[in-house]
Amino acid sequence: MIKKHQPLRRFPDYKSSIVRSPENEPLLINFSNSEITGPLFNKNILNENDNNLILNFSKNGEKALGQEIFVHGFVKDENGNPLKDVLIEIWQANAGGKYRHQNDPSNTKLDENFGGCGRFITSSDGYYIFKTIEPGAYPYPNRGIEWRPKHIHFSLFGSMFLQRLITQMYFEGDPLIKSCPMVNSIPDINARKLLVGKLDLSKTDKEKILGYRFDIILRGKQQTYFENKIEGS
Amino acid sequence: MVKIKNFIDTPSQTAGPFLHIGCTPSITGINIFKDELGSTPFKNISLNEEINIKGKIYDGNNDPIIDAMIETWQCDENGKYFNYQGFSRRVTDFKTGEYQLKTIRPGNQINENGTISPSYILFWIVARGMNRPLITRMYFDENEIKSDVMFKNLSIQDRLKTLIPYTEDKKNFVFDIHLQGKKETIFFEF
Ligand SMILES: [Fe+3]
Repeated sequence: MIKKHQPLRRFPDYKSSIVRSPENEPLLINFSNSEITGPLFNKNILNENDNNLILNFSKNGEKALGQEIFVHGFVKDENGNPLKDVLIEIWQANAGGKYRHQNDPSNTKLDENFGGCGRFITSSDGYYIFKTIEPGAYPYPNRGIEWRPKHIHFSLFGSMFLQRLITQMYFEGDPLIKSCPMVNSIPDINARKLLVGKLDLSKTDKEKILGYRFDIILRGKQQTYFENKIEGS
Repeated sequence: MVKIKNFIDTPSQTAGPFLHIGCTPSITGINIFKDELGSTPFKNISLNEEINIKGKIYDGNNDPIIDAMIETWQCDENGKYFNYQGFSRRVTDFKTGEYQLKTIRPGNQINENGTISPSYILFWIVARGMNRPLITRMYFDENEIKSDVMFKNLSIQDRLKTLIPYTEDKKNFVFDIHLQGKKETIFFEF
């Protein structure tokens, strides 16, 4: 059972996947109520600045350091219909590639005005927008020390658990993308491109900050099972 | 029947070891949001109905995973799913790898076709090293699932016990999840 546009669970080039992936194939079952329902999040959980990472952790109104960017796009289903009320949570390293996290071993400095997380809920046309700074690339142990391409982690809740997604957005033109084992764990080369935010100079923002466009597609109720049956027989 | 899809769904990527910043920020000392999502699946759980679940997620070396996040999703005691309750978010302890969940025992689930499923809690697991989430279910009664139509004719009868927690009192449950080896938990795909 392979969905070629989704990453392999076991991809030895990404070393920690070797001991963190099951040895048996997952059991394909029909989804039931628990998959076609899910938690909904109301806009009243949001503060005004939750989607502005330049300011949402600020001390005394000072901005986070780094190249200011906005990241925006639409969340849609597989048929291209906009998905409203999708909760998006993002998290990222600071401009120097360091996370505000006790387990980040990097000795790069923290930015006292940068927390590194944000939230937003899509509007009726599926639109979302974050303001943030461009994260730095950072080294991590894999096959020796390797470098993660610059990325922002994205977590999304659609209207049912089937649509739950955690992914990462990379930045157009980053030369580290093509050697990243996490990206390369996706067998379909074209699908890898879907994770790359595209430079977007179209939006005239009064603050004139650099834009990236990243659209996200959440799956629908079509079953992996049936697609597979048909392909295989 | 396969419907034509115009787009493929965006590929998953690992949540990485620092998922707490975005998902449970207070653990990393970030307290900028109004509330932490999924801190309890139900408000005001009475002592009477409360159950406690704890456990660890073991990797292929049999080491507990200390940087995982588990989201749980369940119906209420009558088998009904709601939009604003039944969801929880738990992370495994940085030192011990243990997760803990206080919730209520869900009722039997009534399916669209009228059949009834034994009660369970959905577990959705992400961590560093997992390119895609792992999905499993904690059921409560092994005999119940052995006779359930979904599992009846499958060749994995001997592994069904991996979906059942250990309990002595039906109030405190230990549900360990094994990613590999003889005790490998059954994971689902839809
Ligand atoms: Fe990261």
